Amino acid sequence: MTTTISSAAPPTAPPKMPTSADAQLLSFAQSAELSVHDLYNIAINSGLLSADEKLMMQMFSDHHKEYAQSLNGLLGKDATNTRNESLYLTYASQLTSAQAMSRVLQSLENILVATHTDILSSLEGLDGATLVASIITVEARHAAVFGTLPNANLSSALNNTASSLAPNASPATTTSETTVAP
Amino acid sequence: MNNFENLTRRELLKVSGLTIAGITFLASCGAQSGVTGTANIASAGTVPPTTALGEVVISDTVLLRTAASLEYNAIDTYTKVLDGGLLTGEYASLNDAIKRFRDDHVDHAAAINALVVDIGGKAHECANTRVNNLYVDPALKLITADGNADAARDVVTLAHALENLATQTYQGIVALLTKPQLRGDAMRVGQDEARHAVVLAQVLNPGYLAIGPTTDEATGKAKVASVPSAFGGLASIQISLGAPNSEGAKTSLSLETPSLNGLVYDEISC
Repeated sequence: MTTTISSAAPPTAPPKMPTSADAQLLSFAQSAELSVHDLYNIAINSGLLSADEKLMMQMFSDHHKEYAQSLNGLLGKDATNTRNESLYLTYASQLTSAQAMSRVLQSLENILVATHTDILSSLEGLDGATLVASIITVEARHAAVFGTLPNANLSSALNNTASSLAPNASPATTTSETTVAP
Repeated sequence: MNNFENLTRRELLKVSGLTIAGITFLASCGAQSGVTGTANIASAGTVPPTTALGEVVISDTVLLRTAASLEYNAIDTYTKVLDGGLLTGEYASLNDAIKRFRDDHVDHAAAINALVVDIGGKAHECANTRVNNLYVDPALKLITADGNADAARDVVTLAHALENLATQTYQGIVALLTKPQLRGDAMRVGQDEARHAVVLAQVLNPGYLAIGPTTDEATGKAKVASVPSAFGGLASIQISLGAPNSEGAKTSLSLETPSLNGLVYDEISC
């Protein structure tokens, strides 16, 4: 018997590299990653965290830096390598206590998951899509960790009601959130 | 004038050495007289016959139907865990979480099957047979076998592995789905499975120091981590289950996301 394996290829196969429209979305994703990395650093350098919390946040901060670097590698000369100042300023002032830091940073992880998922829904290029997908699963894990430590709260770990910040998001899902609900 | 006349003794030895090596190599590739040709390499015993796949097409519906089938693997496993009262002792408090996970998987299956129907496919509303045969059934058999003192913990280990398997499956099909919208829809579900995995990881290996990758100093094996790496991985998932053997080792299982012979092709029905 002859084995034939084929993909049901669409009329035009998806491109491998990001298209120019993809590049804009990926640049936005990179700027959001840099903002969240910098927000983690505020928490890490605040002196308000326990040694364990600091260790965890350092790991998550490093991850966000790696995401920005990977996106930079994919974007090449299209990369802006600058943080989203609006996102950064909105949340920087809310990092006022260890408890607030956990709450705010969990919320930001959830926002990044929603934003990247939204962006993924528009990306044509497969390299960008696979990279963003591999980031989404880990940022969801970050958010869930905040829901399990220091005290386990199943709803907090599993639920994500955050809205997307992606520029292509439909009006109904574009966030206008400026504070993180307690 | 012949160029060979200009060769030094050292160069001549090199050339002759290469010639001998080449002749030996070619001779080893050729058929030998008196030896019957065979398609197989030399082997002891009987080679079992293999069944080749028929003509198959990997389409968006196949990929999503496969994802839906894994949701049913999780639903069925959690139902067996709950109905069989397998979470006992200190793990009994996890029953509510398992119920929540099962409900989530029911929702995921419905959402994925709705996508399948939207793009012209047929909903697949049962578990992946190959995943059951290779992983779930053997695992449950080991867990429920007499003499397994760690049955409840092993249930959590299996659940954690299944959640990671589902996460990897969704992440993996992103590279194969042809429509960007479907990729986003897949990861809306996939990220949910990753959250389930974290909750279970924190049961198996709790605390801040267990978030990232760590190694068991006694065995040299990787411990369960809530966030095993900076990027979502697609490597096989190793678990150890069941009663330990005489040397204290549990049976190991290696779980992998469905491949060509585990996909739910359009012609497969429940």
